[in-house]
Amino acid sequence: MTIKLTGSIDSNNVNDFENELIAKLQGYGGQSVEFDASSLDYISSAGLRLILRIRKQFPVMSVTGVNSDIYEIFEMTGFTEMMKVEKAYRVVSIEGCEEIGRGANGKIYRIDRDNVVKVYKNANALSDIQHEREVAKLALILGIPTAISYDVVKVGDSYGSVFELLNARSFSKILSTEPEKFDWCVKEYVDLLKKIHSTVVPEGKLPDMKETALTWAEFVKDYLPAEAGEKLVKMVKDVPHDDHMIHGDYHTKNVELQNDEVLLIDMDTLAVGHPVFELGSMFNSYIGFSELDHNVVKKFQGFDYETSQRFWHDTLSGYLGTTCETKIREVEDKARIIGYTRLIRRTIRRKGLEDESARAEVGFWKARLVELIEKTDNLTFSFNEMEVEAVIENLPEVQKFVSERLKSAECLPKAKMQISLAVEEIFVNISNYAYKPDKGTASVRVEVKEDPVSVVITFIDHGVPYDPLAKDDPDLSLPAEMREIGGLGIFVTKKIMDDVAYAYRDGQNILTLTKNL
Amino acid sequence: MNFQGKIDLHMHTTVSDGTDTPEEIVSRVREAGIVLFSVTDHDDIKAAKIIPKLLSGCGPFFVSGVEFSCRDSSGKYHILGYNYDPKSRHIRRLVKKGHRFRIKKVKARIDFLKKSFGFRFPKEELDALFALNNPGKPHIANMMVRLGYAKDKSDAINNYINLIHFKEEYVTPGEAIKGILKSGGIPVLAHPFYGDGDDLILGDEMEARVIRLKGLGLKGLEAFYSGFTPRLIMDTISLAERHGLYVTAGSDYHGKNKMVVLGDTNLSEDDGLPEGLERFLEEIKETGRAGF
Repeated sequence: MTIKLTGSIDSNNVNDFENELIAKLQGYGGQSVEFDASSLDYISSAGLRLILRIRKQFPVMSVTGVNSDIYEIFEMTGFTEMMKVEKAYRVVSIEGCEEIGRGANGKIYRIDRDNVVKVYKNANALSDIQHEREVAKLALILGIPTAISYDVVKVGDSYGSVFELLNARSFSKILSTEPEKFDWCVKEYVDLLKKIHSTVVPEGKLPDMKETALTWAEFVKDYLPAEAGEKLVKMVKDVPHDDHMIHGDYHTKNVELQNDEVLLIDMDTLAVGHPVFELGSMFNSYIGFSELDHNVVKKFQGFDYETSQRFWHDTLSGYLGTTCETKIREVEDKARIIGYTRLIRRTIRRKGLEDESARAEVGFWKARLVELIEKTDNLTFSFNEMEVEAVIENLPEVQKFVSERLKSAECLPKAKMQISLAVEEIFVNISNYAYKPDKGTASVRVEVKEDPVSVVITFIDHGVPYDPLAKDDPDLSLPAEMREIGGLGIFVTKKIMDDVAYAYRDGQNILTLTKNL
Repeated sequence: MNFQGKIDLHMHTTVSDGTDTPEEIVSRVREAGIVLFSVTDHDDIKAAKIIPKLLSGCGPFFVSGVEFSCRDSSGKYHILGYNYDPKSRHIRRLVKKGHRFRIKKVKARIDFLKKSFGFRFPKEELDALFALNNPGKPHIANMMVRLGYAKDKSDAINNYINLIHFKEEYVTPGEAIKGILKSGGIPVLAHPFYGDGDDLILGDEMEARVIRLKGLGLKGLEAFYSGFTPRLIMDTISLAERHGLYVTAGSDYHGKNKMVVLGDTNLSEDDGLPEGLERFLEEIKETGRAGF
């Protein structure tokens, strides 16, 4: 039974109101009473006592539409701990508002120049809103630029949370209206992704994406040939635990440019886990959802499938720090395994297999998935390795890559400088001599090891076999003009590194530098 | 102390604004399985003289009670007085004083309504009004509604009765506490967070109020109360503990027209007596006045 509370309830009228209620509740056999407080302006303690008295008889009680002053009274007096008390929410209309984003749980609309509202699909969204606020706060504390909602509103039958987003434009919008900014978008998008993935989340604060992915794999297993199904589950299980943050729905509608700042929004899918799970959902956003019908991405992101493909490819390349197509494809294939698994489960759960279009979709993805599972051994990849063309112009890129990888090792400035000097020496050597007169690639791998804490940097090229360590050290006692040309660089490198080792295997020069920290 | 059963130390009879006579309330107390009770009419102690005669001496046990409406410059209070000697001139003087102020106020209000609005009140209505033990604003308002001068009680109070401003005379909490103590009683602050019953005093303000009243001689707080949430009960208990005060339990039952159930104090019988209530009852026991 719903009872409307109006105006003011205090000692002047509480007795009359009580008699009215007694009359109304007489013969009511139910247990639950809901007070609609949307027209209630004031309630004194006489009114509070009345509510408690009624609750004695009707234990399932709720009060809805409570204005913020009265809510505060309910909160301070402990009413909110005893019964469901729902705040009155400002009503916001989204009619004619531009949809600027879309996530797993809702859509985002711009309601005016400075504000956007995220409208949740789920009718009982208050706990989702609370969750998103909490994880967004956590992300902000951990250094991820994001917006935090400041108000909860009612939008039709749903709830929405309101954010301030001044003059912001999503990356989707920028990509579809200013194609000349493509490379800039990729770079910013990759930088933010790296930032997310290098953020360590305190244990227990966010769900583990691996567990979610495992439920997908176990679901899909039954629809695959036995061997492929089992291998899929095993590969997901074998992904090592990772306490770094992943966004979970990282596509260009969820990245906004506000003034000069790049902001991440739609935080409700935040989790921890190996980056392959993130890449799986990114693959779906750019390719997976649109592989059968290329218009899907246009409808959703505003840019065409070709742009989407390029954006995904360049993002992967930037993220992995390599232009090597083999390496990019290798990681993309792992992302596709996660992506298709998710798509198959999604379609089966949403449409079932009776539906013909659903059957076609699932069949298409399944064929690809089975093929990918067959040729893949595990879902992990190292992104502590980059491959570039071995030319001196690429030295800054290599240096940047190495220094980024070193961040987690907390090197002292002196060690950093020494490492940078050694990297320069070796990379310049490879650029100048390894492929002469042709060109080729060099890959650089950086590993931070514990016990003892050290950095191991490995250079690999496919050039002519050349062991720089075979040369004698230059005789420094000779005057400069009498020393042999060259060889000084490797000498310096050996001096400032704790170990330098060379091997030639499978047509590769492998030079390993170790620096204890 | 070992009381097997309910304790309710706050209820009203027809002596003030309840609907049960003292005789009726005794049988209701028995029916409810209450083993220890007190009747706390507003500003009146008639029940304390009537009820002991209705009891046999082997339970339920009765503690004399009263609830004074008090005011001072810092606010309004309801002060409960327990276990006083009903024959003491101190408590009788306090009751008389309260009644005198009340009658004076009602007269001032009636005069104001007559003069300002030209209302006429028939003699039989006024006689009935002044014959009440505790006439006040709600009774004047009811009369106005009956006579068609106001559409309902809130209209009468807010738009007519409350327009008069006069220097009110009132019993101060200091006077009430002193009178109760001098007549051998225990002064206790009723429903602390709710002030005079229609207020909400929380946090530091409540703490300051307790400190001030304790300075005047207050000895307890009504912590278990039908109109309190678990949070307010816990807060009252910890206030009492911080300031070394007793705690008591009362329903504030007013009779059949209201939903307060006799004996409902939010004190669970199974948990045993809280320490502050145990000490309160010890003090009463030592006087031998309540018969246990």
